[in-house]
Amino acid sequence: MPLDTSTYDLALLRVDGRRWNELRRLDGQIRTQAAADGSSYLEMGNTKVMCVVSGPSEDKRRGQTSASTATGSNAADVAVSVVVAGFSSVDRKKRGRGDKRIQELQTTISKALASNLHTHLYPRSTISISLNVLSQDGSLLAALINASTLALIDAGIPMTDYLVACTAGSTSSYAANDDRADPLVDLNNQEEQELPFLTMATLGATDKVAVLVCESRVQVSRLEGMMAAAADACKGVRDFLDQVIREKGHKMVTEGTIEKGASMAIEIDA
Amino acid sequence: MPREAEPSLNERAFVVQALQEGLRLDGRAFDQFRGLDLKFGDHYGVADVTLGKTRVLANVSAEVTAPYIDRPFDGIFTITTELSPMASPAFEVNRPTETEVLLSRLLEKTVRRSNALDTESLCLIAGQKCWSIRVDLHVLSHDGNLIDGSCLAVVAALRHFRRPDTSIEGETLTVYTPAEREPVPLSWLHSPFCITFSFYGEEGEIMLLDATLLEEQLRVSSCIISLNKHGEICQIAKLGGTPVEAVSLIQCASAALTKGKELSTLLDQKLAEDSKRRDKGGLLAELSAENER
Amino acid sequence: MTVTTEPEALLSYLQKADGSATFSYAGYTVIGAVNGPIEVQRRDELPEEAAVDVIVRPAAGVGGTRERHLESLIQSTLRQIILVNNFPRTLIQVVLQVTVAPENDYANAKVAQANLNLPILPALLQTAVLSLLSAALPLRATLASTALAILPEHGDRRIISSPTGRQIEQSQSFHVFAFTSHDELILAESEGSFSMKEWDDALAAAQGTCYPPTTTGDTDVLMDDDKLVGSDLKHFTRSTMEQKTASDLYWK
Repeated sequence: MPLDTSTYDLALLRVDGRRWNELRRLDGQIRTQAAADGSSYLEMGNTKVMCVVSGPSEDKRRGQTSASTATGSNAADVAVSVVVAGFSSVDRKKRGRGDKRIQELQTTISKALASNLHTHLYPRSTISISLNVLSQDGSLLAALINASTLALIDAGIPMTDYLVACTAGSTSSYAANDDRADPLVDLNNQEEQELPFLTMATLGATDKVAVLVCESRVQVSRLEGMMAAAADACKGVRDFLDQVIREKGHKMVTEGTIEKGASMAIEIDA
Repeated sequence: MPREAEPSLNERAFVVQALQEGLRLDGRAFDQFRGLDLKFGDHYGVADVTLGKTRVLANVSAEVTAPYIDRPFDGIFTITTELSPMASPAFEVNRPTETEVLLSRLLEKTVRRSNALDTESLCLIAGQKCWSIRVDLHVLSHDGNLIDGSCLAVVAALRHFRRPDTSIEGETLTVYTPAEREPVPLSWLHSPFCITFSFYGEEGEIMLLDATLLEEQLRVSSCIISLNKHGEICQIAKLGGTPVEAVSLIQCASAALTKGKELSTLLDQKLAEDSKRRDKGGLLAELSAENER
Repeated sequence: MTVTTEPEALLSYLQKADGSATFSYAGYTVIGAVNGPIEVQRRDELPEEAAVDVIVRPAAGVGGTRERHLESLIQSTLRQIILVNNFPRTLIQVVLQVTVAPENDYANAKVAQANLNLPILPALLQTAVLSLLSAALPLRATLASTALAILPEHGDRRIISSPTGRQIEQSQSFHVFAFTSHDELILAESEGSFSMKEWDDALAAAQGTCYPPTTTGDTDVLMDDDKLVGSDLKHFTRSTMEQKTASDLYWK
């Protein structure tokens, strides 16, 4: 066990001082790259990711590194590539391109977005999304999905609703058959190491689940509580993303129709 | 390389409409598996799972080797899944397809990360010698639901497997050949099973178990739940696809638990049958059984 | 440790492949699948004939150089019997999956590197031919293959056909022969030390195993099936095919 979260029971506060249903500090920006069709930068606590969308563009021969949805030529292909920077976590492990974990992430994001985007409007074309992970502190998949949603909105690709994701965990590990287990939302790396958790992506504020990934052992009975907590957290994330988009839109309206990329003077205080 | 043939528009419309009317092409109920057969080989650690026209063979082998430097007290446990063109010409050697990557990740999460096999028990001399257990999964024929079949084959083969007995006297480690000492089973903690749900319809309201290849090609979304008979979820993977109501996913989990218990009972029963077959009349019979081969 | 003396085979046993067969003999069980003629990759394409691709996969572990060597031997043999000129710019893919190899109870094998060797070659070849027949690919001839070991015995030498793993270990030399159904030698692989005379003897013995010495060429059609099953591999192939055809056409 890397650390002890058993103090949770004393004050109902987590290792970083949050309550069970509190998200970490969220910070998001869109249109960060002038050259891209769409781009975003998202921080969920200390997890920091960057996303660049290009397309829809003409169908090219797809590279090996990116996962894509083979939907035939009647709909656009969503090609996702995830690059995890070597300096993003404490152990500087070099991950090759063939890393199956990364490939699984790519496939997941690609399939989730493909069902949300109106890809049928762009037959024979590719929407390519490249995600860069700058810093990892838990909830990686959730941050990647949220960042792609932001960037896709910036790129102006029609979609059904925001695809938002968040993690939810459960206090006390699987070994202890604790009935008083509380759900937790938006786990950081320390909590992910120790507690069972799942990542859930929902379509906007609805209860429709696009992605549900759980990689740890947990009792079936806890699933419902964790999913409910995650769904609530997703609503919070949706409100935040909506706010980011609206602020940007407001800014663009007040400053007049600005040339794309001219709004680069953004506060990168990270 | 030749691509897998995609179902035609007519086929697509026919199957989906039939499902909406509550019918499957092969007349099964929505939550019914195809005929499931599990056979063990003559050698220990060989399991052959037939699920309708899908056929998977798992082969377990063991050898003594040096442990990883960062994990001196753990043995090595690997699962290799390489899909050969035998299953479909669309699979190419040395170029993993998405199916293959997802399958191997799933087995890894279900069996390895859930600690089904106690890797610490594989340690012989800390930091120097340990057992390396290797599962080779061969897909002979692919007609859908590869994941459930493969997971069952891997778990069955590992539980059936016997590794050579060892003893340590002072500094010397002796590995006994099967002729000297009866091989011993692995230290097994729990048996996880994968259950795959396929969703159909605009909102994924139709839910199928054990989809055939055609049904798999037409599904809008899928959810794979791995759990053991104690009701512990080892892994859930709903990797994208059409969004599905959260409530139906919770229903899936409870349906998976029932199915997982069934599979667990089946496996226990088959293992008992096999050990009875091997142990007919004690040691003498075992020798003669070997002669027959 | 004993092995089956009777070869066993099952045809068209996998539903997805164009042709398939499983064959067990001398302690080995091999599953073969044939897909073809199918689309070929640009770089493998041959303008005037079909490319033959052979993949040998061991039961445990990953294939290495030994498997590649076996693949090349089988590939060049099969290329001779398949009518490759009939299918220019296509691919005929043969996958041979070993499922059971004889285990030695007296030694603990290493597995990380699979160790398929010459002794498995006859089983692989037989499986490949049966799979090709099952896929209904036009062949110039079928083939039969056998393995022989020459053991030193009381100062003399003894030829053993289909030797066990133990016998191979003790043997001075080991030979694999394959003959087409026209009685032509198509493959000869030998290892160990042996004289030309010994090789000739081995060849004659192999011919005896693959074909009964009394018959040649075309007369074998008239032969009695039951008499020679097991000892005569060519006949085995034939009777397996006949049984399969009979059961397939049962409705007629």
